[in-house]
Amino acid sequence: MTGYAIVLASEEFERVQAVSMIASVASMSDTPVEVFVTMNGLNAFEKEAVENMDFEGGRVANAMMEAEDVEVPLFTEQLEQARQIGPLNVYACELAMDLLGTEMDDYVEGVFDDVLGVSGFLNRAKDKQVIFV
Amino acid sequence: MSDTIEADVTVDARGSACPGPLMDLIGKIKSVDEGAVVELLTGDEGSKNDVPEWVEEAGHELLDTVDEGDYYAIYVKKT
Repeated sequence: MTGYAIVLASEEFERVQAVSMIASVASMSDTPVEVFVTMNGLNAFEKEAVENMDFEGGRVANAMMEAEDVEVPLFTEQLEQARQIGPLNVYACELAMDLLGTEMDDYVEGVFDDVLGVSGFLNRAKDKQVIFV
Repeated sequence: MSDTIEADVTVDARGSACPGPLMDLIGKIKSVDEGAVVELLTGDEGSKNDVPEWVEEAGHELLDTVDEGDYYAIYVKKT
């Protein structure tokens, strides 16, 4: 096992945030991580959603948004920070983007390395432990 | 005990929740020279417990964790 390949197929805030935490800490600890954001997972990364903090979520999401005394770094900030330090690549699913009619410009800057298809993801996942979220 | 530890650099992550303090610490550890002592200040209970796990796995040395009342000072030596 030489790292993790994480599929993020959900826009649920808690799942997105958990993926970001695990991917960021692992990669900053020199464990290679590939994150493939697909299906509704992409929605959480749209500029509009991030700017307005408009996410689908439950109790943990609400607690994080309302926390006043502590600042929880948002998943976009975590991934951006981690990508600069460790072996972390984050990809947006090309198929889902085609269906949604979105372009890379629609997503927050500093997070995605590139767009990617299923074969590309499988190639990068070959030697890694796959985590599906 | 804590009085004897001289930190070369301090990371003040008070007010930041998990995994902020850990990520700040990792970033700082990567930038300092071997043998340097990094002091991490955090009020986050989860980080207090999780940081030592990372330090051990990464092969650095946990010198001490000092309870400063409303926050902790965690001393890590880069090896």
